[in-house]
Amino acid sequence: MIKVALAGQPNCGKSTVFNMISGIYQHIANYPGVTVDKKSGRFKAGDREVELVDLPGTYSFSSYSAEERVAKDVILEEDPDIIVNVVDASNIKRNLYLTFQLLEIGKPVVVVLNMMDVAARRGIEIDSHKMAELLGCPVVEASGAQGKGKEEILQALKLIWDQKSSFEEFRLNYEGLEPFIQKLQRDFTKIDSVVSSRWLAIKALEQDMQIIQKLEKMQRGIAQKAKEYRLQFHEVLDRDPESFLAALRFDSADIIYHKCVVEKQKDHVTATDIADRFILNRWLALPFLFLVMFGIYELSIVMGYKITDYTWPLLAAVKNFTVDILPAANFTEVPVITEFGIWMVNSANALLNYIPIFLILFALIAILEDVGYMPRMAFILDRLFRKFGLHGQSTLPLVLGGAFVGGCAVPGVMATKGIADDRARMATILTVPYMNCLAKVPFYTLLLGAFFKAEMALMMFYISTVTVFIALIVAKILTSTVLKTRETAPFVMELPPYHLPTFKGVVLRAFERVWIYIKKVVTIVLAVAVILFALLQFPGLDEERRAHYAQKSQEALSYFDNRVRGSDYYALVDTKEEVSRLLNFYDGYKMKRMTASGKEGAQAVDSEYKALNPEFFKFVKPKGDAEARKINRPLRKLSRMRKKILMDIKDEKVENSLLGMAGRSIEPFTQYAGFDWKVNVAFLSSFAARESAVATLGSIYENNKTKEGARAEETMAQNSGYTPLHATAMIIFMILTPPCIATMIVVKFQTGSYRWMLFAIFFPITLGIATAITVFQMGVHSSLNGVEAMTFFYVSVLLTALVLGLMPQKRINWSGGLPQSKVRDLH
Amino acid sequence: MRRARYRKQKREGFKRLSDISSGESVKILRVNARDKLLYKLLDMGFIDGTVINVIREAPLFDPMELRVQNYLVSLRKSEAQLIEVERV
Ligand SMILES: Nc1nc2c(ncn2[C@@H]2O[C@H](COP(=O)(O)OP(=O)(O)OP(=O)(O)O)[C@@H](O)[C@H]2O)c(=O)[nH]1
Ligand SMILES: [Mg+2]
Repeated sequence: MIKVALAGQPNCGKSTVFNMISGIYQHIANYPGVTVDKKSGRFKAGDREVELVDLPGTYSFSSYSAEERVAKDVILEEDPDIIVNVVDASNIKRNLYLTFQLLEIGKPVVVVLNMMDVAARRGIEIDSHKMAELLGCPVVEASGAQGKGKEEILQALKLIWDQKSSFEEFRLNYEGLEPFIQKLQRDFTKIDSVVSSRWLAIKALEQDMQIIQKLEKMQRGIAQKAKEYRLQFHEVLDRDPESFLAALRFDSADIIYHKCVVEKQKDHVTATDIADRFILNRWLALPFLFLVMFGIYELSIVMGYKITDYTWPLLAAVKNFTVDILPAANFTEVPVITEFGIWMVNSANALLNYIPIFLILFALIAILEDVGYMPRMAFILDRLFRKFGLHGQSTLPLVLGGAFVGGCAVPGVMATKGIADDRARMATILTVPYMNCLAKVPFYTLLLGAFFKAEMALMMFYISTVTVFIALIVAKILTSTVLKTRETAPFVMELPPYHLPTFKGVVLRAFERVWIYIKKVVTIVLAVAVILFALLQFPGLDEERRAHYAQKSQEALSYFDNRVRGSDYYALVDTKEEVSRLLNFYDGYKMKRMTASGKEGAQAVDSEYKALNPEFFKFVKPKGDAEARKINRPLRKLSRMRKKILMDIKDEKVENSLLGMAGRSIEPFTQYAGFDWKVNVAFLSSFAARESAVATLGSIYENNKTKEGARAEETMAQNSGYTPLHATAMIIFMILTPPCIATMIVVKFQTGSYRWMLFAIFFPITLGIATAITVFQMGVHSSLNGVEAMTFFYVSVLLTALVLGLMPQKRINWSGGLPQSKVRDLH
Repeated sequence: MRRARYRKQKREGFKRLSDISSGESVKILRVNARDKLLYKLLDMGFIDGTVINVIREAPLFDPMELRVQNYLVSLRKSEAQLIEVERV
């Protein structure tokens, strides 16, 4: 098997080439740093098996970013046979800088001149034969995006493999540094490595800590030696080896460039230049950015929501199907398995419902990525975000999270991966969950509809805009406290030329990300749903209460029996089993009719149920049949009675459940925010998926006084005994929390630690409850109404953000010298 | 103190990259960065003697867009300040 590593600078098309020659699909995007981990794939080329490793893009092999560490580890540990260096032909000089570093590793290299189409378009002519001669390695022209060059690359690999024995190590003459390289090489007595010792010596002199640590492990004292030589070199030439080497490599790249490349249209204005004149224009950039964001929001969130109107019936059908196959209820005795099945389907549906939105959203993002707008977005907003410890690249995650009225933190947190600055990346991960989650919207609508009918627009404005300020404040707080010591990275970011996105790439990527969402998130959410179900079920009702409800059921049944006795059809409904079946038939019919669309759909349901049981159908739809009508009316009443009993049972179960107990046990504390135990339970259960907050609250406040068909808003306003101030406290808490389980899972993935996940759970909860209590108590003591309290909250947040943003900051721009501890010792 | 050094440099014809306005081309004299930033700058082609073209400032005035080694790069002013340049 031949092991091949694919190396190259960021965004030069490595992943594209990987896909082309291996036929395995890999993530591609037009911005640097998409492939952060290494990815590998196996395939057959002729009769040989090849293992291809796609490395993250690195500008060089000498600095300390995570990607470079990964890349270097692969070269050192996995010992590839051949290195394929993908070079962006349209940006050849800077790319050759890396090529020289790869060559001196001492392994056979194949140079792939990718993006030849772009180079041709820009009038760049490259003499690849001459280049091959000068570099002493095969140079292949390719154009990955158009699928050109596959055969040639494979051929070159074969050629190199066959002539392995005659391979001679490449060496670049480092002039003044040479004596030191050789001295250090001679000192390597116990060093045994798969790569060339010359390369190791050069890296050690360059002070590459990763390499030095490795060497030091094999032979004590090497680090010290390297340091000595560095100093000696500095004395002779008054330069650090690293800048000396960089200059030399760039000079060498320059030689190749001048000998092999002719640029016919140098200084020619490219399409990218022209586009940037508008897109990055001082006056137009922000409006354009806003337009792009707004467009994304409209197309994905607003339109996607409309599409869910069409996809929802599919999910409802799944639910109906589940209800059909699960054992039916025997009047008020619902089998646990049925309850459980329905609960699980509901939990899954709540999340799957967002898939159309995600598909559109991910496709649009893929387009933005391919086009090359992402880094420009970072460029435009960097200054603003930096003030709060974030980064220009935080824009996209925040927008996805819902900076514009609604979004979802899951893709938002996933999009933080490319942020180079570790501190800003962590801060972004931890603040994205504050954005407006789409699933919170029904909750807000419920409360606003119940308590703020007149001021709905104003409240909604507050809710949707306050989140961004909160996120900025939180980011500032975190980056100046817990994240303070995190590594930061200089913002030296390439702005790649614009590319046209490919349809296939966009669609594939959108589906790939949705698939990841389904796989990672839905599975875990379902697991949590199981736990939650248990928490809500157990310990259940005691003997006495069960007897109580059994009697209630009996009463309802006798009522029905008495009323229908006079009907000619009485024989069909004179046992409990029959009544129960009829009732299930009736309820099933009603539910299907409700989800059926249009007249035809309704007729289909009709005929289905008629075929199922023609007798029962008469009672459901008696039409002119007077005897059947005698049953129909009590049946409807009975159905309502059953619902009521079931609801009471459920409420009591929730109240006595473990979750209910938890809700009660924190009531003494949460009452200061105006939350009673029911609200607590709703918030606790909303952790699984936020939709459940609405469902729980809605069902808790439904009671017998409620007229049939009343909306949840009305029942809540009537039955809860809350004032608008209570609602404001709830809204504020909801704005700040609770983070949903799916988001927490991705936070775990992106931060790679459970500790940060726990932090991401408890910090917002503490903040949320503290703020809710403050505002509620303020409201009670200064007798503010709900809207006034909300205004107070909004203005305070806004002012805090402004103060933090305007606070001048002094940045320490230097580093080095003695370690802090030593400096302290001096005093 | 810093001010004084700055003036001295100015007299001698030094300028800082952060002070160069859009559209101008300058040559790098010295990169005063250290450690990670230095490596990063070197790798991105900020080598002594290289010609840089200042393209524009971001709308909020901070990062600046430059052309180095024939590609575009964005650099924060706080970092550009560490690069001494002269007009060409
Ligand atoms: N016109 C053109 N575009 C290409 C070619 N090869 C790749 N691209 C585009 O260049 C962009 C970057 O490609 P990727 O394959 O993601 O680059 P990469 O080197 O893997 O990038 P990182 O993983 O971020 O280092 C994508 O938008 C590709 O569609 C090519 O030959 N011609
Ligand atoms: Mg890649």
